[in-house]
Amino acid sequence: MADEENKENNLPEPTVADLKEQIEEMAAQRDEYLAGWQRSKADFINYKKEEMKKLEDVARYGSEDLIKDLISVMDNFDLALRTLEKAGPVEKGIYLIRTQIDDILKKRGLAKIDLKPGDMFDPAVAEALSEVDAEQPPGAIVQEIEPGYRLHEKVLRPARVIISKDKKIK
Amino acid sequence: MPKIIGIDLGTTNSAVSVMKNGELQILENAEGNRTTPSIVALSKGGERLVGLLAKRQSVTNPTNTIFSVKRLIGRKFTDAEVQRDKAWLPYEIRAGATGGVEVKMGDKWFSPEEISGFILSKLKADAEAKLGEKITEAVITVPAYFDDSQRQATKNAGEIAGLKVDRILNEPTAAAFAYGVNKEKNQKIVVYDFGGGTFDVSVLEMGFDAESKEQTVEVRATGGDTHLGGDDFDKKIQEYLVGEYKKQEGIDISKDPLAVQRLKEAAERAKHELSTAVETEINIPYISSDANGPKHFQIKMTRAKLVDLVQEYIDRSIQLTKETVTSPAPKGAGYQLSEIAEVILVGGQTRMPAMQEAVKNLFGKEPHQGINPDEVVALGAGIQAEILSAKAEGRKTEGEVKDILLLDVTPLSLSIETYGGVATPMIPKNTTVPTAKSQVFSTAADNQTSVEVHVLQGERPMAGDNKTLAKFILDGIPPSPRGIPQVEVTFDIDANGILNVSAKDKASGKVQSVKVEASSNLSKEEIEKLKKEAAEHAVEDEKKKALIEARNQAESIVYLAEKSVKDAGDTLPADVKTGVEEKITALKGVKDGEDEAAIKAAIEALSTEIQKIGQAAYNKPNEPQGDSAGNGQPDTTGPKPDQSA
Repeated sequence: MADEENKENNLPEPTVADLKEQIEEMAAQRDEYLAGWQRSKADFINYKKEEMKKLEDVARYGSEDLIKDLISVMDNFDLALRTLEKAGPVEKGIYLIRTQIDDILKKRGLAKIDLKPGDMFDPAVAEALSEVDAEQPPGAIVQEIEPGYRLHEKVLRPARVIISKDKKIK
Repeated sequence: MPKIIGIDLGTTNSAVSVMKNGELQILENAEGNRTTPSIVALSKGGERLVGLLAKRQSVTNPTNTIFSVKRLIGRKFTDAEVQRDKAWLPYEIRAGATGGVEVKMGDKWFSPEEISGFILSKLKADAEAKLGEKITEAVITVPAYFDDSQRQATKNAGEIAGLKVDRILNEPTAAAFAYGVNKEKNQKIVVYDFGGGTFDVSVLEMGFDAESKEQTVEVRATGGDTHLGGDDFDKKIQEYLVGEYKKQEGIDISKDPLAVQRLKEAAERAKHELSTAVETEINIPYISSDANGPKHFQIKMTRAKLVDLVQEYIDRSIQLTKETVTSPAPKGAGYQLSEIAEVILVGGQTRMPAMQEAVKNLFGKEPHQGINPDEVVALGAGIQAEILSAKAEGRKTEGEVKDILLLDVTPLSLSIETYGGVATPMIPKNTTVPTAKSQVFSTAADNQTSVEVHVLQGERPMAGDNKTLAKFILDGIPPSPRGIPQVEVTFDIDANGILNVSAKDKASGKVQSVKVEASSNLSKEEIEKLKKEAAEHAVEDEKKKALIEARNQAESIVYLAEKSVKDAGDTLPADVKTGVEEKITALKGVKDGEDEAAIKAAIEALSTEIQKIGQAAYNKPNEPQGDSAGNGQPDTTGPKPDQSA
C-alpha cells in the first residue's frame, strides 16, 4: 500500500538509512516514554510509602500542638500545688486529678525528661537559661526551672535549667 | 545520579529543600524541625554542636557560641560592618592572615567559611538521613547585595562541608522562583524580606535574553537594615509585659529566670495569635509572689496594641523600601512605585497583618503570599537545584514534565442512572484522568433480560436533572429473579477525555459499550452553570433523593415479604400471614406517594411483621424451612428495569 502511494505521489522511496533513522528516533522516543512511565510509577509507589509513614507520624505526633499547650497548663497546675502545699496540707483529690491528667498524656506517648541537680547539662534534652556559682561540678545542672518533655522520641520541650559556672575559665 | 539540594543559609535560621517524587519539599532536620538555627558552638565539654543544640546552650556559653556568622563571611576585618558587629557579638573576632575575619571558638580560631561549613555539614547530613542517599551537590542562596568575595566564601563553605556548590543564587531571585513570577518577561518586582535579625529589600527586573533564549533576572537595587528584624518585635513585647506587670503588682519580674522564661513564651504566643485574632489574653498564673501570697499575671493584648509597640520598625522598613525602589541609582533602582508589577513577602515576621497592610499601601497592590515565608527562599533554591539536576541528567524538569503531561481532571461527575431515576456517581468530579472505575449492578425486576445503561454528567442526584451523554441497552441476560444477575459497568476515561462505557453480563459474557467523545467538551461557563445549579438545588435534591431511596427500599421489602410468604406456603400460621399481607397492602398504599415519613413508617411496620415469619419457621423445627430472606434480596442500586424489555 505504502509503496503504491509513494509511486502515485512521485515521492522518492525511503532509503534504508532513512528508515533506520526513523526507527532510531522512535526507539529513543519509546525509551523516553517508558522511562517517564517507570518514573511516574516509582514516584507513585514511593509516594504511597511516604504517605503511610506520614499517617503513622500523624497518629504519633498529631496531637503534638495540643499536648504542648497542655504541658504549660500542667506546669501551672504544679505551681499552684506547690503554693497550696506551703499554706498547709492539700486535699488528696487534687493530687489524684493531677495523676489522672498525667496518665492520659502518658498514654499518648508523653514522658517527662528525668533530670536532677548534679546531672551534666546535655543540650539534646535541656536548655541552659543561666549559670551560677554552685557546689556542683562545672556544667552540671543546679536547678531545673521548667521540666522537659518527650513525645515518643521527639523532644517536645527541652528542660529549662540553671547550670553551674565553669570556675576554671572564670 | 544523586539529588541536588537547595539550601537557604540564613543569618538566623537555615532550611533545605529538594524535589522529591515530583514535589518540592522542605526536609526536616534530625530534631524534626523544618528550619535549623545557623549556630555553631563548642560546648564546655569540648563537643562541637550545630543548630538547635548549640542554641540551647548559647546563653551560658556565649563566648564559644558562634551565631550570625553570615554577617562576617567574605568580609575584610576592616569593613565598617564587621567593626560594628564586633562591638556587640559576644564571641571574639580578629583579623585573619589575609585580612579576612576569624572567630574564636574554644582555643581555636576559625574562618567564617569554616563555621558556615559546619552548619552546611549538618544540613547535608540531616538531608542524607532523610532522603536515604548521599548528597554531594547543592544550590546555596545569598543576599542580593553579597559581593564576589562573600559569594566565593559561601561557595568555599559548601566545599568544606563536602558539597559541590552548583550555583550561588540570590535570595530574592529564589523567592521569585518559588512564586513562579520569573515566568513573566520584562517585569519589575520587589522582594521584601523581614527576617529574624535582618531586613532586606531587593528590586529585580525579569528579562529575556533573545540570543540564549533564557530568562534573566537582574538585581536593580538592594537596601534594608542589617540590624532590624523580628527579634526586635519580641523584645518590645516582652519589655511591654514586664512594664505592665510592674504597673499592676509593683513587682519587677525581669530578674526571675522562671518568670522571664514564661513571659518569653507568652509573648511569642501572643505575637503569633495576633496574626489571626484581633485580641488575645496573656494568662500566666503564679508568676511571682509577695508577702500576701501568690501573684498572677493576666492581661488582654489587642492587635492594635501590638502594632502600636512595633509601628516604628514597620515604618522604618517601609521607608527603606520606598528609598530602594525610587531613589536614583546607585542608591536605588530609580523606579516609580507604580512600575512594580509584583511584591513578594519573605521572612516569618511578614505574617503580621499590619506589615502586610503597610506593604500593600505602599505599592497599591496585594503582595504575594501563600507560601510559608520562612521557607520560600529554600523552596526557590530547590527549584534551581531541580533545573540543574534535570540539565545534568538530560531530562526535563519535574515542572516542565508536569506542563507536558498536563493531566486533566473531570470537571463534572459522571454517573449512571439506577432504579428510581437516581444518578449513581461512577467517577466523581475533579478526578484526575486517565482513570477507570467498575461497579457491579443488578436487575430491579424478576426475569428482566435487559438493562439500559444511561450515562450522565452533572452534580444533581436525580438522573433527570443531569445531562445525558449516552444510552445503550445490554440484553440477553438469562431470566432470573431480581438482584441475581451481575452486570459489571465500567467507565474509562483516557488522557484525551474520551469516555468509554461498557456493560458486561457476568453470566452470559455479553458486552455492550459506547464511546463518548465529548465528555469534557463543556465550556467553562457550562460547567460553572451546572455546578451552580447543583448548589442551588442541593436541599430539594437531597429530599427528592431520600424519597426515591425510601420508595426503592419499600419496593425491595414488599418484594421480600411477598416472596417469604410464598416460600413459607402453608406452613405459615394464618394470623402471621394475614398480618404480613395487611402491612404489605398498607405499604403499597403509601409507597408511591410523596410522604417520605409515611413510607418509612410503613416499611418499619412491615419489617417487624416479617420477622414473625422467621420466628414461625423456627418454632416448627421439624418442618423444612423456607428460603432464607438473604437469597434473592434485591439490590436497590440496580439499574432501572428496561422499559422496552
